[in-house]
Amino acid sequence: MQTDKPMKSYQKVALSALGVLVFLLAWEAVARSGVVPARLLPSPSAVPAAFLTEFKSGTWQEMVLASLSHYLVGLSLGTFLGVSFGTAAALWGKWDAFQAWVVRMLRPIPAIAWIPFAIIWFGVSEGAASFLISLTVFWINYYASYAAVRGVDKDLIELGHAFGQGGLIPRLFKIILPGALPGILSGMRAGLGQGWMTVVAAELFGISGLGMRMMEASGLLATHIVVLYMVTIALLYGVSDFLFMQVQSRVLSWQR
Amino acid sequence: MAAVILSKTAATSVIDLEDVSIGYGKDAPPVLVDVNLSVERGSFVAIVGPSGVGKSTLLRVVAGLHAARSGGVTIHQDQRPGHRPVGLVFQDSRLLPWRRVIRNVEFGLEGLPVSRDERRQRAEAALKLVRLDGYARRWPYELSGGQRQRIGIARAMAVDPDILLMDEPFGALDAITRHNLQDELRRIHQETGKTVLFVTHDLEEAVHLADRIIVLGGTPARVVRDVRNSAGRDGSVFRDQVEQLRSEIADNYSI
Repeated sequence: MQTDKPMKSYQKVALSALGVLVFLLAWEAVARSGVVPARLLPSPSAVPAAFLTEFKSGTWQEMVLASLSHYLVGLSLGTFLGVSFGTAAALWGKWDAFQAWVVRMLRPIPAIAWIPFAIIWFGVSEGAASFLISLTVFWINYYASYAAVRGVDKDLIELGHAFGQGGLIPRLFKIILPGALPGILSGMRAGLGQGWMTVVAAELFGISGLGMRMMEASGLLATHIVVLYMVTIALLYGVSDFLFMQVQSRVLSWQR
Repeated sequence: MAAVILSKTAATSVIDLEDVSIGYGKDAPPVLVDVNLSVERGSFVAIVGPSGVGKSTLLRVVAGLHAARSGGVTIHQDQRPGHRPVGLVFQDSRLLPWRRVIRNVEFGLEGLPVSRDERRQRAEAALKLVRLDGYARRWPYELSGGQRQRIGIARAMAVDPDILLMDEPFGALDAITRHNLQDELRRIHQETGKTVLFVTHDLEEAVHLADRIIVLGGTPARVVRDVRNSAGRDGSVFRDQVEQLRSEIADNYSI
């Protein structure tokens, strides 16, 4: 297979922008052609007007802030616990064996299935939404960290022993965690995206936020407002992913 | 299982191996038996033998990475503070890719009672010793294979070890780079007077570098020859020494 010539970064940005533009134009064309009724498919050009209305009333800001707070709390908690438990299971065989079947039983249950318990335990509250988000994020980070720690080059651990850095603390902080960092970070990044998906699901049952507002709007068949909040989530995800990538490339600058 | 004994009593030898036998697993037959070896302070000893004979395993036992099945391994450690008994150089340079060169060289000094300033100074001195003092801020991936090996040597020398253990350090290098590094190692040995235990399967390398050559052979392997060597790279003497060793190994090694 012939490999592509390396692209300049401005070319990449231009191509990405072109992709988004073509997507929006195609959507607009379908919506305007009348093939699909406007109620079923709002045109993207209706979104700015919807945004202005929602923004002037202050609803948009309120919903974004509410979702952002659920998201950040759930993400931090889920990431921290997922990385910790995943690393611990990869490091200690006995602990791994002890928790292996518990993990297998809990893993396939999706966050949405926990909604009844979230409401019973936390009520229809911020806490319930954060709990559901952290659950989703936890599993992604658990498995990514487990694999990353398991994959650390055994020769480097031997190097640590040869140079007096074989004790648990130096081994963990000087060899295992830096060695597992690329894998742990890609788990974090996947969690970042899954977290936003869960935000919507977690808010559908009435916790204030983007999901709740989408549910309200769809009840009134105000599909242009639903699309507005879809676009909002897409942008929030895009920004968080972009910011994370910036941090990641700085942290991993030792990689080729 | 016998661990390495660190002795603080003064001795003319740096390491003493007494009736050491080595194996992997509990019931597997031993790989190496009856190894008796004293390495004198300041000497350059090469261990040669065919692949799989247990040369590297012997080195790992001295480094404390593998326990001998029986027998005694003693390292006579000097009293000076802030150093480690052994400095190990691997065949694959084994640098930590997330540390810049200078921090790789400092690695073994961490955990020793050495101030941050002294640690940096010693790492810089070690880089100078291997002639890579301009490379302190580089990442490992920016270095060539030969440069990485030099950094590996600097890392081992930075801990000011009683003995420098080298496990086929030039085995993966191209011929020209290998020659350069052999000359560099000779210079470093002469400048610092460090005791060196050097494992190689390359007889010419052993005859060129070492003043004593230990030949391992047989199944299970044992020391079959212990040769004083002063051939260096001295023309016909060098060739004679290499050929003699080659035939002795062939005699002791049945396929």
